[in-house]
Amino acid sequence: MAPKSWHMNRRELLRGGGMALALPFLNGMNLAKAAVGKELPKRMVVSYIAYGVYEPSGDNGVHHDWNWWPCKDAGPLTFNKSAAPFEPLKEYVSYLRGLDHAGGYALGGHSSGDVFATGANMVAQEKTNNISIDQLAAKMNGHKTRFPSLVLGTEGGTGSYGQCKTLSHYGPGRPIPSMHRPQEIFNRMFNPYAGDSVEQIRGQLKREASVLDLMMEQSASLNNQLGKADQRKMDEYLESIRALEQRVERTSQWTHEPLPKVDTKGLNLEVSHKDPQEYIRCMYDLIFLAFQTDSTRFASLMLESEASQTSEMWNYATYALGYKGATHDIAHKRPPESGLWDNWRAKQHAYFLQRLRDTPEGDGNMLDRTVVLWGSAHPHASHNTQNYPIHLAGGNALGFKHGKLHGFEGDKKVPLANLFVSMLNAVDVPTERFADSTGEMTQVRG
Amino acid sequence: MLLMFPLVLLLATLSYGAGVPADGIATGTSGYKSHVEPFFSTYCIKCHGPDKSKGKITLHTLDGDLSTGKELERWELILEMVESGEMPPEDEKQPGQADRKAVAKWIDSGLRDYLKKSSESAPAATARRLTNFEYQNTMRDLLGFELKLIDNLPEDPVKPYHFNNTAQFMLMGMEQMDRYKEGARRVMASAIVDPGKPEIHRTVRTWEANDAATGMGGDEIGIYGNRRNTPASGMGIKSWPSTGEYRIRIKASAILPKGIEQMPLRLLMGYNIGENLAMLQVEPVGTVELRNNVDSPKVYEFRGRIENHPAKPGVVTAKGVGPATMNITPQNLYDDGRLNDSLDALAMPRAVIESIEFEAPVADVWPPVHHTRILFDSPLRASDPAAYVREVLERFMSRAFRRPVTKDELNRFVKIHGIIAAEVDSFEQAMRETLAIVLVSPQFLYHTIAEDSAAMRQYELASRLSYFLWGSMPDEELMNLAAKGQLENPAVIEKQVRRLLADQRSHDFVDNFTTQWLSIDKMKTVKINTSLFPRFLYLVSGGERAGTEMPYRPTIRDFMHDETIGFIAELIKRNASVLNIVDSDFAYLNQPLAAHYGIEGVQGNKLRPVPIKPEHHLGGLLTQGSMLIGNSTGSAPHPIYRAVWLREAILGDEVKPPPADVPALSDTAGDSAANAVTIKDLLALHRKKESCNECHVRLDPWGIPFEHYNATGRFQPMVPKEGTRVRGFNRELDKDLDGYLAYLGSINTVKIMADARVPHGPTVDGMQDLKAYLLKDRKDEIAQALLRKLLTYSIGRELTFRDRFAVEQLFQEAKTNGFKFQDMIVAICQSETFRGIQRKDN
Repeated sequence: MAPKSWHMNRRELLRGGGMALALPFLNGMNLAKAAVGKELPKRMVVSYIAYGVYEPSGDNGVHHDWNWWPCKDAGPLTFNKSAAPFEPLKEYVSYLRGLDHAGGYALGGHSSGDVFATGANMVAQEKTNNISIDQLAAKMNGHKTRFPSLVLGTEGGTGSYGQCKTLSHYGPGRPIPSMHRPQEIFNRMFNPYAGDSVEQIRGQLKREASVLDLMMEQSASLNNQLGKADQRKMDEYLESIRALEQRVERTSQWTHEPLPKVDTKGLNLEVSHKDPQEYIRCMYDLIFLAFQTDSTRFASLMLESEASQTSEMWNYATYALGYKGATHDIAHKRPPESGLWDNWRAKQHAYFLQRLRDTPEGDGNMLDRTVVLWGSAHPHASHNTQNYPIHLAGGNALGFKHGKLHGFEGDKKVPLANLFVSMLNAVDVPTERFADSTGEMTQVRG
Repeated sequence: MLLMFPLVLLLATLSYGAGVPADGIATGTSGYKSHVEPFFSTYCIKCHGPDKSKGKITLHTLDGDLSTGKELERWELILEMVESGEMPPEDEKQPGQADRKAVAKWIDSGLRDYLKKSSESAPAATARRLTNFEYQNTMRDLLGFELKLIDNLPEDPVKPYHFNNTAQFMLMGMEQMDRYKEGARRVMASAIVDPGKPEIHRTVRTWEANDAATGMGGDEIGIYGNRRNTPASGMGIKSWPSTGEYRIRIKASAILPKGIEQMPLRLLMGYNIGENLAMLQVEPVGTVELRNNVDSPKVYEFRGRIENHPAKPGVVTAKGVGPATMNITPQNLYDDGRLNDSLDALAMPRAVIESIEFEAPVADVWPPVHHTRILFDSPLRASDPAAYVREVLERFMSRAFRRPVTKDELNRFVKIHGIIAAEVDSFEQAMRETLAIVLVSPQFLYHTIAEDSAAMRQYELASRLSYFLWGSMPDEELMNLAAKGQLENPAVIEKQVRRLLADQRSHDFVDNFTTQWLSIDKMKTVKINTSLFPRFLYLVSGGERAGTEMPYRPTIRDFMHDETIGFIAELIKRNASVLNIVDSDFAYLNQPLAAHYGIEGVQGNKLRPVPIKPEHHLGGLLTQGSMLIGNSTGSAPHPIYRAVWLREAILGDEVKPPPADVPALSDTAGDSAANAVTIKDLLALHRKKESCNECHVRLDPWGIPFEHYNATGRFQPMVPKEGTRVRGFNRELDKDLDGYLAYLGSINTVKIMADARVPHGPTVDGMQDLKAYLLKDRKDEIAQALLRKLLTYSIGRELTFRDRFAVEQLFQEAKTNGFKFQDMIVAICQSETFRGIQRKDN
């Protein structure tokens, strides 16, 4: 078997825990300063929709207006009713048909969302998942901004295995809880000192660092009293502390940079789930603001989880479209309901892309420098886990070419991870292989 | 047990005719070759062999040697299938009872022999962190006051029908750690007060009856509230401290119409609920039942922690940030189930509020007890400050770690204190910071971590008992017993278990256990069809939020959670048979629930046991709204969901989710209900597809007998004729709920078919039949399923085949004893499985 270079690196990173990661952080500020004025940011977003899209089966189904795929044949894009919101962004979007993660096949439609951004083979060797692309990018380049990454979702938290409510994972067994309360996200990003002066904050951080040191020491002393299984649990604990130490370190360095001024016009942070459009747009707006202020360059957004029956997301279709049933059920309907739902989701995503597109940056606009993945690991109501709906946008200045529907069916089949390799390379994460990739995806970037 | 593996129709070509020797099949491989293997070949291999491996289970690769310890999980599964008669499927050739029993016995003794010889015992649970609710409770009992800390923690993972206190689920990451740190600082900021007398914040407001002649008085609150500037819009608090206990005194009485004896008055504190904000935040202060009339107003007192109430942040303007605001709002919660029917508020009970007084911080002594409990008086305090710090740390840490602190640990924390003290201004602040670190130590955050010794095992056991039955740390009595080494004594354990269960704190155990065991939380997000069930929820009638659910008014649905929890708590309290979960002679209700289920004569919002009659169609868990709504579509019953629930929660089966590539039921039950097509027919269509039928033939029959209970959990055995269009509630035509029910009655002319033949059982027609069948033929399974759930929850790990015989012993004991609920819990706590805390390096 060919060596899987990223797998090797990932394991090493993990074994070393925080120590392997400490170096770039220590040099973080210098790097960031060097970067200022020299190079414009390169950004990446991964976003997810759940419960499938309307996709009449390829071979014998008749293509029609409400298919999630915008047109029937591979080639230049035309837009049907479902995909209409993307028409104004034609030269910024691509549709990629026939891609998926082999590692998700056996998970079942309602669980494969776990590996959407990781490509981990959760049935075989990587039972507790693995690092996601946004986090890999954050590990390499996250030190250039105040926050390495922004992890958002509509439901918040991590969820459980097979029912993730986040797209982002540090590595095996460490999903990153997504944040879902707009006010809290805003405060953590733009008002992190909560009224204290920078000097006070620096003092607190210094004390914090020594406290964490002491915690490390006192917990490490426990280790020799424990059995092996317990020691593994304790490693989890120690790694958490180490990660916190690093965060304190970088936060402390960033206190030397002024906090960004944020234009909050039109931002309603008190919006509730009962108004899904406002809510989802608010989440998109927060990512936009984070990018605009260069507070971070990597974001994930779990727009919908595959297990929302205990959250308000379950009722989105009702609130947004007046559909009398659960969000899950509308995906099982035939058009127009399922199509209207796909179209509604497309509108929200197009809103975000348009906002980036409309904001100048350098010679172009923000979308030129932001590659945005939007899709699902749960293609349609049959719970099949192959041939994901995949929509890629932006990053035109990062080497991406758009405006086409690409078909990867049959003998053209390549892993979705190939696209990940291209996305990672586009944001300055030199990558040869990721998960089960076999190369780069030259059709969209090359 | 797995029941999802259907076998196809293939006639066995081999016939099993070996017969069983009188003394059973010879043990070991010789018996395997002579009897067991031929048995498998005859009845199983067709579907679980080289050609097909239904459910990914194959039998032909087994070598029949159980003594190697290999494949024992598979053997246990086979044993369960053979024993229960679940396999072979009904439409296949069946073995005779004697053969079935002999093969079961052979596997059973093979497993037993292996476990007897094997030096390994069942693995002890590894170190696991406290679950969120255990964390909050532990803080409460450690510090002596309760702060709401859970909201700031990442949610514990949820897996339907599983418990989230197992080590594999309880992961720790940076975010979790960060939130623990925040939580620890928050509680310490509250626990230790600054020296000197605090500033007292006080707000008082009074109301006058004045223009009472024109309607509701200016000091009254009706069931729909009242005008502005009446107590219905509450009292804004002028100022409040950031930490501390508050006291609210409210002088109130009630105007009670004839026949109504009391009305519930609840206080909320937080945002002003009169504002039209989607994200209002309030926390209840408490509820009293008003029984006194206006001639004898009474003062009611409430206490709580100010930290738990959300203040509305100040408005941001060009000039800066305005002050935060907080409001105390009284609510009239009288509810006889007709609230939505535009009742005449004057004909309903009204609360009269003369005054509200807010004061904080309050304490009977200052500094408050929670402060002096940590920073106690000691001669050393003045004479030897260093020794005092050590004394404080020793006492606090031994409580926080739930075992005596070691000298080494103490030395480390003395050192930590020294470093912190050098950097902060005050003694109090240094103590807060140091103790906050105690509260993020693994010894606090994880279930007891200590060296493996007999003395420490006593403390571990004390914690096991308290975390099982209270979801919190052991109290002084348990700690004392542990110190004296008496917790191994079965009689002591029994006494303690009964004491813990009798304590109020056991409610958290019942709530947490039951909610997860029955997976009833999903009831909260089922979208209720409000045109078909116009009076089930309370909706905002006008304004921007019209049609949305009224926030901060408890609905029948909220009480249904309490109904299920209260019902189980009552069974435990009575030490009644666990089979009451199938059927019981009482229900656990309050007035709104009783009105919903159609029972008269229950007043007030307090839930209590109510005797029931057959015509109420209630009793046990199967007819409770929490389960019926959670497993409905919101418009119609959902027999598949209900079947899954019955099998997972009550029968203890594991039902796999629909596999990939299986087309879903094309239509939702919601639409079919509106079109009056029976779901039973729909399912029959679904089962005609072979790919669906394989599983659903085992599933659907369990859900169909529930069909007489509608999507909101009411008994409703009639539906309209096929093709009838059912109109939703219409205020002009129906006026009130009774009017709409009369309309439904006029079109509901067809009795719903609720008969189904259960797999390997008889035909049951409706709920009563189903219950009778379960109690007659399935009671052992049901009791054992609950026993296994309790044991799993109590030890914080999944059971394996190694636990089989321990479970069996507990089960036999319980059976002899009539499956008494409380006794079952006692026996679990006395068992080796629960007490055996040996550590294994694995």
